Amino acid sequence: MSHQCHWTEAVDLFLPREAKIVKTAQPTELEKHFTLQMIDGEPVDFQPGQIMELGLLGYGEIPIGFASSPTNPETFDVVVRSVGRVSKAINQLEAGDTLQMRGPLGHGFDLDKLRGHDVLIVAGGIGLCPTRSLINYILDRRDEFNRFVLFYGTREPCLQLFTDDLACWRGMEDVEYFETVDQGDPSWTGNVGVITTLFPKVELGPETRAVICGPPVFYKFVVRELDGIGVPHENIFVDLERRMKCGVGKCGHCQINDKYTCVDGPVFAYSEVEDLGEAF
Amino acid sequence: MSSMFIKDDDFSAFVTTMIEAGPVYGPVAKRSRFIFERLESPEELRLDYDVTILPPKKLFFPPAQDLIRFDADEFKSAIDPEEKVLLGVHFYDVKGLDQTDLLYSERNFDSSYMANRQTTTIVASNIQNVSDRAFFASVGAGVPAKGHDAFLTSITGGYVFEPLTERGEALLKHGAFVAATDAQVAEAEKVNAEALTKCKEKHEHSAEDIAAKVAAAFDNEDLWSELAEDCFSCGSCNTVCPTCYCFDVQDTWNVDAVSGQRTRYWDACLTADFAQVSLGEGATENFRGSRGERFRHRFMRKSVYLNDKLGQPACVGCGRCSAACTADIADPVRVIDRIMAS
Repeated sequence: MSHQCHWTEAVDLFLPREAKIVKTAQPTELEKHFTLQMIDGEPVDFQPGQIMELGLLGYGEIPIGFASSPTNPETFDVVVRSVGRVSKAINQLEAGDTLQMRGPLGHGFDLDKLRGHDVLIVAGGIGLCPTRSLINYILDRRDEFNRFVLFYGTREPCLQLFTDDLACWRGMEDVEYFETVDQGDPSWTGNVGVITTLFPKVELGPETRAVICGPPVFYKFVVRELDGIGVPHENIFVDLERRMKCGVGKCGHCQINDKYTCVDGPVFAYSEVEDLGEAF
Repeated sequence: MSSMFIKDDDFSAFVTTMIEAGPVYGPVAKRSRFIFERLESPEELRLDYDVTILPPKKLFFPPAQDLIRFDADEFKSAIDPEEKVLLGVHFYDVKGLDQTDLLYSERNFDSSYMANRQTTTIVASNIQNVSDRAFFASVGAGVPAKGHDAFLTSITGGYVFEPLTERGEALLKHGAFVAATDAQVAEAEKVNAEALTKCKEKHEHSAEDIAAKVAAAFDNEDLWSELAEDCFSCGSCNTVCPTCYCFDVQDTWNVDAVSGQRTRYWDACLTADFAQVSLGEGATENFRGSRGERFRHRFMRKSVYLNDKLGQPACVGCGRCSAACTADIADPVRVIDRIMAS
């Protein structure tokens, strides 16, 4: 055998660490927001855009992005949507309960490619969760970036996440924030329409660095708008979602052609994946 | 390390001594077919097998393998390797293990697989009978098998035993071995060369030409739909493949409802929900929703995606998928012939 590494010296990839729930919030009917702290006291050294396998023993693990900025290393946030066995079980937990995590996993946003440039973040639905890590990072290190424009779209007003953050961003000078809903309700006075209806509201240059995270149908329409502005594809960063079981490039579920979303991504330059037939 | 010889009359005692020293796995008959199984006695060993139902990967990556065990107080790694001998592996299956060894150890070292791999002594053996669907002679021919510790070849009057590693050499103490003569070594070489001439199926094109053509056919939806038209999405082709290693992970509780385990199970990219995610409120997205897309993924993986990394296609020509497929549409030789003609 030519492999130098012997298993006794190697880490068990599947052994998680324990985290304690510090705080919870229920922003929508389906989603729950957790603030977590590692029980071993070792902070999780992650980059915005990286993911973790969040687990509950006896139920399983789910891949999920960090929803807070690493500028606060003591705790980290996740938002879990109740969809299956694991997420529903996790969403029963409250402050003081423990769960497990493996991570950080994968490639996050390459911050050096964003620093010193105008940054546009386009988030749709639950895509705001992983991008919130980057949004808060930028707001915490505002001097390192030029203009900061943020688009957020949801299907309906009641599905908006991080409503405290949104209220804050609406009034903030540090971010040019625009939001839309596909369908309004009587209380909604803002923009109604798909995410691309926000593009005419702001003047963006071809030097802009763009970040996209949203539902699967979202990407090609946003890229079309960015093409109109002339943003080169290597300056567009997409945060992709796939089914994942292991998070370490073995189980095969998250493959996009020959790439593993869990280790090669989930953040890719659009130019890396645009020609992959299974990407969009 | 020089080749040794053991007489037919002494071979049985050699296997018996190994069995007494520790677990020995080898090919045994199961009705009219063969499986790798722990040997109870040398009589069970069937080195004249053509191909086993499942490849030997099941000893390192079993159909169900615990990753973690937990109870009310703690959880711990379930890695528990077994020191063992695996006897009678054909070279194409060694090549399958070579590939999974690389894929499980690169980037993130998977101890759940590698721990057992590193505690196993593998004795490869010559192919005495060739299965009807095998095409091992025409795939990855330039890349020799390397993960075995010794090679055993049946010749006139006994076996030539070629130790290749210290682990392989350590087995010599279990049997009445003598130095093989030049004539015996030459006969063993001839026997192994002849096995390569006996495949009924073969690829007519080079791996490079196949990779280029299959990759170029990616967007040919009609072709993939046609090839997958009769696919039951059962995943049998994946299950029997020596180079497939995808898995699902599930947690289960024990009857005490307190303790339990996190287990990985063989999974198959041909099954309908392999790449499906839930979006909530009953909505789903399937990133490989059609049979054609799933069929295409298998052929991309076997003949295109991994070639650079492996130095050969991710197929070793065992023919198991061809034989296992209910609709008989999985045969790589026929499928690739069809793609080459497109």
